[in-house]
Amino acid sequence: MVSPIYILIMSLAVGFLLSIIDRAGRKISLTAFYGVLTFNVVLMANWLYRFVFLHVPTLVINTAGFKAPISINLELGLMEAFVLFFANLSGLLAAVYLFKKFKETQVSSLILYLLLIMGANGLVMTQDLFNMFVFLEILSISTFALTVLKKSRETLSAGFKYMIAGGVASTFFLLGVVFVYYFTGSLNLGNLSAGSFTNVGLVSVFLLSIAVFIELKPFPANGWALDVYQSVDSGIVSIIAVVNSAAIGFVFYKIMPLLPSEFLTVFGIAGIVTFLFSNMMGLKQDNAKRLLGYSSIGQMGLLLAALIFTANVQPSVRYLVIGGLFLNHLISKAGLFWLAGIVKQDKIKDWGILRSRKPLLVLFGLFIFALSGLPPFAGFWAKWEFVKVLVDAKMFFVLTSVLVGSLFELIFLFRWFTSVVKNTDETNEQLASPGKSKATPVIVFGLMAVISSFGIMRFFYEFNWIQVLPIFAVLAISLIDSLPSKVKGFLSLAAVAGYGYYIYPLLENNLQMFFGVIFIIGSAINIIATLNRKNQSRGFYGFLLMMIFSFGNLLIASTYLEFFLAWEFMTISSFLLILRGQKAQRASLLYLIFSTAGAYLIMVGFSFAPALSSSGGALINVIELVNLPLVSIIVLAIGFMIKSGSAGVHIWLPEAHAEAESDVSPFISAILLKAGVFGLLMLGISYISFTPSFDVFYWIGWVGVITALIGAFMASFQEDAKKLLAYSSMSQVGYVVAALAMITHLGWVSALYLAFNHMMFKSALFIAIAGVYYRTRTRKMYEMGGLIAKMPLSYITVLMSIIAVSGVPPLSGFGAKWLIYTAFITKGWYLQAGVLFFASGVSFLYLYRLIHTIFLGQLKYEHQDIKEAPVWFIIPQYIFMAGIMAISMFPNLIIKPLNVIAMKYFDSSIQIDGLTVISELGHWNGNLVMYVTMAVFAIPFILLLVLKGKTQKVKQFNIVYAAERPESPQTTHVAHNMYAHFRKALGKWTLPRVQLFWDSVAEWSHTLGGFFRRVYTGNGQTYILHIVVYIVVMYVVMGVK
Amino acid sequence: MISTLILGIALLIIGFYAMLTQKNLIKIVIGFSIADTGTHIIIVSLGYLRGKTAPIIDNAVNAVNAVQEVVDPIPSALVLTAIVIGLAVTAVMLSFIVEMYKKNKSLSIDDYQELKW
Amino acid sequence: MSIWLRVLYAFISVSVATVYGLMLGGIVRKIYARVHGRYGPPVWQPFLDIIQTHSRRVAVSHGNMFLLGPVFRLAGGLGTYLFIPVIYGSAVFGNFSMAGDLLLVMYFIFFGQLGMALGAGNGGHPYSPLGIARGLAQMSTFEVPFSLAVIAVAIQYGSLNITTIVAAQQGGFMNWTLFTNPLAVIAAMISLLGMNMHSPFSIVLAPQEIPIGPPIEMNSSFLGILQTNRGLFAAAKLVLFMNLFFGGATNLLEMVAKTFMIYMFSVFVGAAYPRFRPEQSFRFFLKWPTIIGVLSIIFISYFGGVL
Repeated sequence: MVSPIYILIMSLAVGFLLSIIDRAGRKISLTAFYGVLTFNVVLMANWLYRFVFLHVPTLVINTAGFKAPISINLELGLMEAFVLFFANLSGLLAAVYLFKKFKETQVSSLILYLLLIMGANGLVMTQDLFNMFVFLEILSISTFALTVLKKSRETLSAGFKYMIAGGVASTFFLLGVVFVYYFTGSLNLGNLSAGSFTNVGLVSVFLLSIAVFIELKPFPANGWALDVYQSVDSGIVSIIAVVNSAAIGFVFYKIMPLLPSEFLTVFGIAGIVTFLFSNMMGLKQDNAKRLLGYSSIGQMGLLLAALIFTANVQPSVRYLVIGGLFLNHLISKAGLFWLAGIVKQDKIKDWGILRSRKPLLVLFGLFIFALSGLPPFAGFWAKWEFVKVLVDAKMFFVLTSVLVGSLFELIFLFRWFTSVVKNTDETNEQLASPGKSKATPVIVFGLMAVISSFGIMRFFYEFNWIQVLPIFAVLAISLIDSLPSKVKGFLSLAAVAGYGYYIYPLLENNLQMFFGVIFIIGSAINIIATLNRKNQSRGFYGFLLMMIFSFGNLLIASTYLEFFLAWEFMTISSFLLILRGQKAQRASLLYLIFSTAGAYLIMVGFSFAPALSSSGGALINVIELVNLPLVSIIVLAIGFMIKSGSAGVHIWLPEAHAEAESDVSPFISAILLKAGVFGLLMLGISYISFTPSFDVFYWIGWVGVITALIGAFMASFQEDAKKLLAYSSMSQVGYVVAALAMITHLGWVSALYLAFNHMMFKSALFIAIAGVYYRTRTRKMYEMGGLIAKMPLSYITVLMSIIAVSGVPPLSGFGAKWLIYTAFITKGWYLQAGVLFFASGVSFLYLYRLIHTIFLGQLKYEHQDIKEAPVWFIIPQYIFMAGIMAISMFPNLIIKPLNVIAMKYFDSSIQIDGLTVISELGHWNGNLVMYVTMAVFAIPFILLLVLKGKTQKVKQFNIVYAAERPESPQTTHVAHNMYAHFRKALGKWTLPRVQLFWDSVAEWSHTLGGFFRRVYTGNGQTYILHIVVYIVVMYVVMGVK
Repeated sequence: MISTLILGIALLIIGFYAMLTQKNLIKIVIGFSIADTGTHIIIVSLGYLRGKTAPIIDNAVNAVNAVQEVVDPIPSALVLTAIVIGLAVTAVMLSFIVEMYKKNKSLSIDDYQELKW
Repeated sequence: MSIWLRVLYAFISVSVATVYGLMLGGIVRKIYARVHGRYGPPVWQPFLDIIQTHSRRVAVSHGNMFLLGPVFRLAGGLGTYLFIPVIYGSAVFGNFSMAGDLLLVMYFIFFGQLGMALGAGNGGHPYSPLGIARGLAQMSTFEVPFSLAVIAVAIQYGSLNITTIVAAQQGGFMNWTLFTNPLAVIAAMISLLGMNMHSPFSIVLAPQEIPIGPPIEMNSSFLGILQTNRGLFAAAKLVLFMNLFFGGATNLLEMVAKTFMIYMFSVFVGAAYPRFRPEQSFRFFLKWPTIIGVLSIIFISYFGGVL
């Protein structure tokens, strides 16, 4: 096998020869150049293969014919081969990316480039400290010189700052090396260990490690790096961000064994601080490459912290965490820098031009998703395992910083992404074709991101195909994306049916079956409304299927990770669906931020949870044997409640529901929110068997009722029909949460009843409003009115639905009210019941507003000629209406199964006597109520028909009018600010305090970010000062003598 | 040995002081050079043994008991390499300054802070 | 009991209640007139009004929902009444109370109101939605003390079954909720003022601001049906209050006497006070009555009704 030392030899040799052979023509020199780079990659690929699959031992290369420590030796093990394979691959691809430059520029650039790559290889492999210094300098000098590949004022000044900082760091490194030699008499890592240094000797390792650490750009001694990232050519900067960082990071990994544990802890914390702060400062950044710089610095900090804090965990987990973070950073950061070079726009807001090249846009999205640590990419798995490690080690400060920092990173990355996808200022500019040499590396890394994630899922976690199905759905639909939308719609319907058929036998108990009905059948019916799509709707059905399959996967998930994976897939797909809305940039971003915060909490919660003892069986079933610790219950509950839009964390909900495309909203509202309910229910099941001392669910119950009330209030004050419905959903799910939190039989029966009912009426309402929007092109209710004459079928749906929402008998809503109040009073939650009564009273306000301002009152002139909603909207509405009628007429259809479901966990608290349901407090015969209602309705109706004289239908404005003559529908239709008096009565209580609170949180974090980044004054001298002060501070903090 | 060590450290500090206070790019590089030299002196001083000769085996040194007669050769070897590297770095820095001056006609580091935050 | 017999009884029950309710309306007008120093219409004036409205030659309609509004309204009144057992132990006045309990009655009240609101909305007159908006907002607030009182009653008697609640109050007036749980009764009686929409809570029909409010477009038979309902619905509400708080009734006479007294309470208050502005009315219900309602729950649940 070829020894890796040939990488060094070949690079040097070809490097020297290049200047000669270049005289024979650039083609020849380029061939030699790319030949060496390819050789490096192939060699390392081979070695990596041998280490992974053939398990060959670590290779030790002695030089000069002596064994270490007499001579310098190199080592190549699995870790080295892994890092070097990817570093060399990045090197090759970056060189391909730079092909045009290399064709034109002086040959010295090629030489420098080869030296740079060689330096990185040497740095990773060498075992000698002084040799390390030499390679570090080779790497640095060639990098310095390459920064001015594109010569400009910016690159020169950035390069100069970089050199000064690098020079200072290497001075310290050199001192460290010498002191190490002075105190131990050896420079070979094989002979050194943490025990070699005591007292004064510690200074030597301090100097050594702090120098390497400075090279890794810790906050705040890293201003120089940011300037480099911002100004230097994208191809070179990708190398700096990826290859240099990897090599120097690896040096840190190699000297870690020399450091005492106190040092390591401080370095780890400094790494985390860097991660947190650079991401916080990134929030304020609007320059794309500088933003990537902030992100790179943060990622390196995280990687270092992960290196340090995973030192004691089992190797496979450690490899996954570090390898995952490394690979993720490498692929996505290089990819993004390359894209930056293709787009050639400094400002983030100008990146909308990327939309003119769809494949590049997809790759951009891919890298953003990967970098944010979303599944299925490597960073996701690394984060999952890392969080678990931190929780087990009780490192809560680090844990919090990792999560907050990640959230910041996600915020700025997705603000970028959403603005690229949605930016409204229309530029007709076309992005010039990037050319093969620039596009190829990006595509290769895009594929690598996908392949590596499948590799992890297949080989590390050994997932079943069903867990990955959501991703395959996207891929499959993208293959047939050129078909007309209707065909894809029918195919999706078939796919959902097939999926339902497949998981049906996997649903082991009635509770899963119940949610299966909501998730799968509910979704299937809602798909019908999407068949109305006229345009091609590229990408729509893929993400829709991804979401629906993720719902189903939640039900059958058998481990925490499977559950969480399905949960994240659900979040991603729903985010992308919401993003399709015309003005959904802000809404989708808000949704993603809150969902991710929730997901992090869920991740932490699962990390606290004890391991599942019995394998097999869905999580929802085995969870009853799991004794969740209190903290786990609390964080999980908050995580789930974010998804169900509970008060305090609900502000994403109205925006997301309103701004999503109108046939997406029913999915989000009627079905997605139930996923949070499902999660809470899962907690409840564990809670029954293992009730902790602190009654968490009591407080969840309060949050639920407050949510119900706030939702109802907010809904009453909306002018936008979809926002009104969104707040209504929030309110209704508040009822569900409150009922569920009782942890009683009747509580659960009512929660599930309400969840089911809500699924039906809210789907119907959203589809009806979708139809209205489709015809009127407005969501503002005061711009409509009198549509009953034009859209009677939609009117009937809305009428029945609002009766079902409000709980007025005889429709199914009353059953929910009856169950829920009975449950509350039996449980002894009297005041909560009082609040719910209030909420239910307020709900009449918004329901009336919805139906009146749209369908009743005065028809607008511009709506004189509109027609009933399209048939694809009407069909699902009436399927849901049929469902509502069925359970209204025969409540036993649903009460009986729910009774059975809840009886698995509690003793039954109701008796079903024929058609009458009897509770401890009272009774209800829905069937009889229906008959009596029909009778009392029929009698006056007949009476009226008999008694009334001739009916005279009059025209629109033929009304008794007390003041001036009605002039236009606008001035006669009471709609805008309909409940002004109510708002006035409530005064300050109607202030959107939660919104204000979150607004100020956002403003504070941005202001803080803006404040801290002022340390980066741009002055090279200040940066040196930072480094020197940083070293002194670390010296003091570490307590070096 | 101690006195050389002190000298080295003093140079190091002077160098850093110059880098932190001088506004002129060239002076900053000179500061860097001074600090670099300080480092080299520190290296040499650490390998120096009083009353011993240079680690070159020739007439002055008996090859048999060379270990007792010469100073530690490794720091000397290191310092040679370090000097070369320091030279290279300084050269690159200076060439940058030349280019910077060509582009902007200024040698003050304060004139190169448009990249910030 | 055969279904036809039950229907017959229901018919008798409804007729009695309607006649009684309409008479009450007439009496109120008389009382108001006397307070104002007028002679006033005869007490049977409401019957004359109904006959008069039904005799119109032409019914002006604004659409199908407009036409159905009054039907919903009367159906709501009928239903509400029919789900309440009117006279304790009476088969004729037992109605269809086996269909549901107190919660059913409370929610069936909304059936008529909602339907009427929709019908009125279809009328296209701006005063209708104005009145409805006021009415809905006011309803949401007076329901708070009322529902708190109902919860207190449910705690007290361990039941939401109206017959059970009445049964528990038998055997002397000291067993009435009025005396065993006075705070709940106070809260509920204040909400009753809002329900009955007399001054100071007459903001929905407010004759000077939004003349007669929601039913403004209603005419001929539509109005006639509404007027009929006004009598029946008033009776239904009063019977409900009587059952919950004043020991129910074991015969028709007791029923008439008690409901009359309950009604007079809101009539007297109405005659004595001027009208609130809408926001004053909403705020009123959310303050003291609500606090009293909460206190009644605390009183009954934590102190078991014994101080």
